[in-house]
Amino acid sequence: MAVVLSPGISGAQSPPAGRGAAPAPPANYPPYTRPVSSYVPSRTPDGQPDISGLYLAIPLPRGIETPLVPVANRPNRANSEFSYSINERPKLPEGAIARPLGVDPADGKIPLTPEALARRKDIIANQDKIEYLDGRVLCLAPGVPRTTIPAPVVGYQILQKPGYVVIFYEQNHIYRTIPLDGRPPLDPNIRKAMGVSRGRWEGNVLVVEVTNFTNNLDNNWVIGAISAAPGVPAESLTTGHGIPHSDLYRVTERYTPIDANTIHYEARIDDPKVFTQPWTIAYYAFARAPKDYVPVEYACFEGNAKNLLLMTNTDMSGIRINVP
Amino acid sequence: MKMPIATIGGATGLAVLTMGVAVGLPQARGGSPPPRAPAAAATAAYNGPRAPDHKPDLNGIWQIMGTAHWNLEAHSASEGVPAGLSVVEGGTIPYQPWALAKRNENFQNRLVADPLRKCYMPGVPRANYLPFPFEITQTPKDILMAYEFAHATRTVFLDGTPHLEDLDFWMGDARGKWDGDTLVVDTVSLGSETWFDAAGNFHSDALKVVERFTPVDAAHMNYEATIDDSKVFTRPWKLSLIIYRRLEKNLELLDYECAEHVYEKLFKGRGGR
Repeated sequence: MAVVLSPGISGAQSPPAGRGAAPAPPANYPPYTRPVSSYVPSRTPDGQPDISGLYLAIPLPRGIETPLVPVANRPNRANSEFSYSINERPKLPEGAIARPLGVDPADGKIPLTPEALARRKDIIANQDKIEYLDGRVLCLAPGVPRTTIPAPVVGYQILQKPGYVVIFYEQNHIYRTIPLDGRPPLDPNIRKAMGVSRGRWEGNVLVVEVTNFTNNLDNNWVIGAISAAPGVPAESLTTGHGIPHSDLYRVTERYTPIDANTIHYEARIDDPKVFTQPWTIAYYAFARAPKDYVPVEYACFEGNAKNLLLMTNTDMSGIRINVP
Repeated sequence: MKMPIATIGGATGLAVLTMGVAVGLPQARGGSPPPRAPAAAATAAYNGPRAPDHKPDLNGIWQIMGTAHWNLEAHSASEGVPAGLSVVEGGTIPYQPWALAKRNENFQNRLVADPLRKCYMPGVPRANYLPFPFEITQTPKDILMAYEFAHATRTVFLDGTPHLEDLDFWMGDARGKWDGDTLVVDTVSLGSETWFDAAGNFHSDALKVVERFTPVDAAHMNYEATIDDSKVFTRPWKLSLIIYRRLEKNLELLDYECAEHVYEKLFKGRGGR
């Protein structure tokens, strides 16, 4: 394992002046340090660090936020959400700290504005209504970083072609094409469920700026949702459930190859209409899949009408969409 | 924010088609490309770019022009639908009598029964001739196709692995190989719920599709799909199209998130956005 610890994410991640004071660190997790690896990937024909391949999600050791009350080590609940063979489930790299995803601010809390917090509680309190139901249950594209947060269908195909990194997500047949040529973002009138991605290589680290997210439904949650632990009320805010975003939402992703089999993921999240300051999640996200793993089609929406009828008593069977 | 595309309808479809004609035609090169003296090619040689493994480089964004999506067979214009020639070899699809009656019933019910209007994935070969672009990402081991409509995808495995058994997929199970400069894709397990077009042309779960993507130059490729379904047709039949490379600078796939538009309709007047 070629991991050394560097002095954290330092100044770049500090809250800008006027957007909230830095809170005190919690007692139960050490400060986050961004992993730095001496691993040098081979190069693609066009000179990119080669991270291509088929990966599986590494189960999250904890939820998104640091719990209000420190929790004892317990079996990894995320495991139960995985469909892949229990023996083949990827493990955290040796030496990695099992901690919640939120690493900045240091208290591990999502820095919601009071208005956004009220909105979140409203969404969580109305989960029996389809208008507030988790967008992933509706089979909407889950956005970023949510599509990188482990879910029951966890295969990721990372491909590289000249000038692009392409990611195919097994979950709900989502894809992203990430141009690397420095082109500007699209016109803000163009919105995409997975956002508009612009990438660059910083050494062996793929950095992607994602903007232009869809914001047309209350159900487009681009963050969350990990199932809440048993007995924990949803409004305990340990899950990432129901976090809204606005038209200004943007994410900076960092994909760091740690070794030939592991990619660490960091996402800096900013939305001045929703958060009092930018905040960061970080975790070991991808482990190279076993050779016998075959990604298959996850047709979500096609079979979901019956689920929604049962869950919310909503009959969508008569709705038809005009197609060109 | 409401996306203007949510209101797209037949008339806008015409606009999309017109745009395709406007941008596509100047890029299509007339006439035959100069021969390139290949050892293997029996037909006109491909003179476009090649990948590092010397296969034709299909990376990029592609789209057809024409009206196959509305009706594979010859048809006059109707409201919101442009007229078009048949793309079926021999002109008509060789239905068994019961199946022709079923197709005609489908046509009568098409505005309700077309699976695309329920935002279901379009299946194969329909995905390739929707009035939306699709993007190819090519590696020596597999070819991935990403479709703008409902973010449908296909992975065409080139690694010689066999089809999966006992599973159906909306976009099928695709295994491919290169035959000279032609990408040949063999797709099975397509189920029975997709249509071939908006006119009710259909198939059963016995459908097998063999597609041939034959690049002619950097800007276009010939596309053939042989349709074999002994439960529905009297014999296998073939459709032929030309797929054009979209050459606009900095073009990228956008969204037609069909499911979102379902919920927009559903939530209208119900409190949610």
